[in-house]
Amino acid sequence: MTNRLCYVCEGGDCTEKGSGDIFDKLRDLVREFDPNEERIKIRRYPCFGACEQGINVTLYPDKVFYSKVTEADLPEIAAHIAGKGEAVQRLTGKCEPDVEQIIWDMLDSPY
Amino acid sequence: MSIVDLEAKIPNNVGLRENKRLMMALEKWQPKFLDWWANMGPSDFNQDQVYLRTAIGVGQGGWAHFDYVKMPDYRWGIFLADGPDDRKIHFGDNVGEKAWPEVPGEFRNRLRRLIVTQGDTEPASVEQQRMLGHCCPSLYDLRSLFQVNVEEGRHLWAMVYLLQTHFGADGRDEAEAMLERHSGDQDNPRILQAFNYPVNNWLDFFCFTAFMDRDGKYQLASLAESSFDPLARTTQFMLAEEAYHLQTGENGVGRIVKRTGEIMAEGKDPRTVGAIPLDVIQRYVNFWFTGSMDLFGGEDSTNAAEAFAMGLKGRYRESDGIYKDPKALNANYSLEMPTEDGKIEKKDIPLRRAMNAVLLDAYIADCKRIVERWNRDLDKLGVHQHIQLPDHKFNRHQGVYAGFRFNPAGEIIDEATWTKHHTDWLPTQADRDYVQSCMVHVTEPGKFANYIAPPPQGVNNQPIEFEYVKFH
Ligand code: FES
Ligand SMILES: [Fe+2]
Ligand SMILES: [Fe+2]
Repeated sequence: MTNRLCYVCEGGDCTEKGSGDIFDKLRDLVREFDPNEERIKIRRYPCFGACEQGINVTLYPDKVFYSKVTEADLPEIAAHIAGKGEAVQRLTGKCEPDVEQIIWDMLDSPY
Repeated sequence: MSIVDLEAKIPNNVGLRENKRLMMALEKWQPKFLDWWANMGPSDFNQDQVYLRTAIGVGQGGWAHFDYVKMPDYRWGIFLADGPDDRKIHFGDNVGEKAWPEVPGEFRNRLRRLIVTQGDTEPASVEQQRMLGHCCPSLYDLRSLFQVNVEEGRHLWAMVYLLQTHFGADGRDEAEAMLERHSGDQDNPRILQAFNYPVNNWLDFFCFTAFMDRDGKYQLASLAESSFDPLARTTQFMLAEEAYHLQTGENGVGRIVKRTGEIMAEGKDPRTVGAIPLDVIQRYVNFWFTGSMDLFGGEDSTNAAEAFAMGLKGRYRESDGIYKDPKALNANYSLEMPTEDGKIEKKDIPLRRAMNAVLLDAYIADCKRIVERWNRDLDKLGVHQHIQLPDHKFNRHQGVYAGFRFNPAGEIIDEATWTKHHTDWLPTQADRDYVQSCMVHVTEPGKFANYIAPPPQGVNNQPIEFEYVKFH
């Protein structure tokens, strides 16, 4: 089982912007090459605190924080997850660094 | 996928029709619950039509339905999240074994206590909030309050279902007792102290939902990892509803902060226009945040170690695999401990004993995030006074910091300093009186009391000026 994770925000703002569909579609794209979650687990996450920049999607332990994600971005995100491409730079660095850090701190728990 | 039976007297996806004994037990409990709602719930509003979300299934996306309903007619149902039949235990001593469909005898008492303690908080909060409808800042907010209330009622159902199904006669007695204890009752209070505090105004309510319901989320999240499969699946579904409660609180305090910021940006004193000054909001945040931390239990706890070892309570998001060692045997947790001579020392304790502290850390990070979110709104308005989250050692009554005095920055202080300053840090009677004086009752659709900014959007794609509650 892998410990690589992709979290799609399901907080109020992101849901309002359609994160439910983004979750389903990204999961479907990733299932095509990773049907049994051997490379990555895709999960929902309650809210990253970067609501204005939503829809937010994060990759861990890669520590990639994607903001303003739309359906059109998903194939590229999936390709990166599959190891066939770089992280999608245009979607990163949009939220405040301290907000980003809080979530990494949480996931980085040494325990 | 489970089959959802919405026609049944008690809507459910647990096959109640096939289990006559259980169905009878629950149908016997149902009128008692409704009685409790009529007497201890928001009873003055029982005849009004409220635009509410009702859970109708567990599928992602389409699990809820919105419509007008009188609260006593709300369809409180029993829903468990779907899960794999062959779920495995994924933490503690029994990692890799099959999860339990029934309660193992040796864990019976402990599981019962966990479920009862969780269950007791659900009706408690409804009781605490029962008078708030009389001073709502808007119809939008009144609806939110009732939404939270009916869902806490459903959470009680969820816990009572587990008790009645898996704990025999004891479970039946516990289910009755849930309706007999009452928040703030001298003789028969609710189990956890914070659920006996009054929630008299909407700043209390939003702080309560921001911090106490958030505590609830972390407790539920740790139970959602449980090796006792029915408990895990029940709490997983409760989390879907709980998310709304937290958001109500997070956004509610945020809207109050924002309104105060707007008034300050206009160069006015919030007190002259019925809004709430930031220092008062700060003291309420201090009070509720510290009270909520007490609910996590001792930072150094053999009880927590055992619950983890047995596989009853996991860490936050344990099943995502974000922790290094699912048995948590090979690490220590570094805990700040106050010493007799008034210092703080770091002490390593075995990780298992620190499970409450680990859960609390995840909670505090989440609270930091919401406070930063409020402060960004202030920044945008050009207001540079901020709300600050106090240190986790401040004003604690449970755990290793209880019995010591700390200031909000987390520095140890003597009793004299505490006596001199605690009114700067925690709500005073004058604060409470002032906040109470701001509680105007606004029921015209689309209008809001002056201490709170309108939300950015309405509920379920309805406009903000939608008639969320129709009075009879
Ligand atoms: S709602 Fe998505 S980051 Fe807050
Ligand atoms: Fe609840
Ligand atoms: Fe709640």
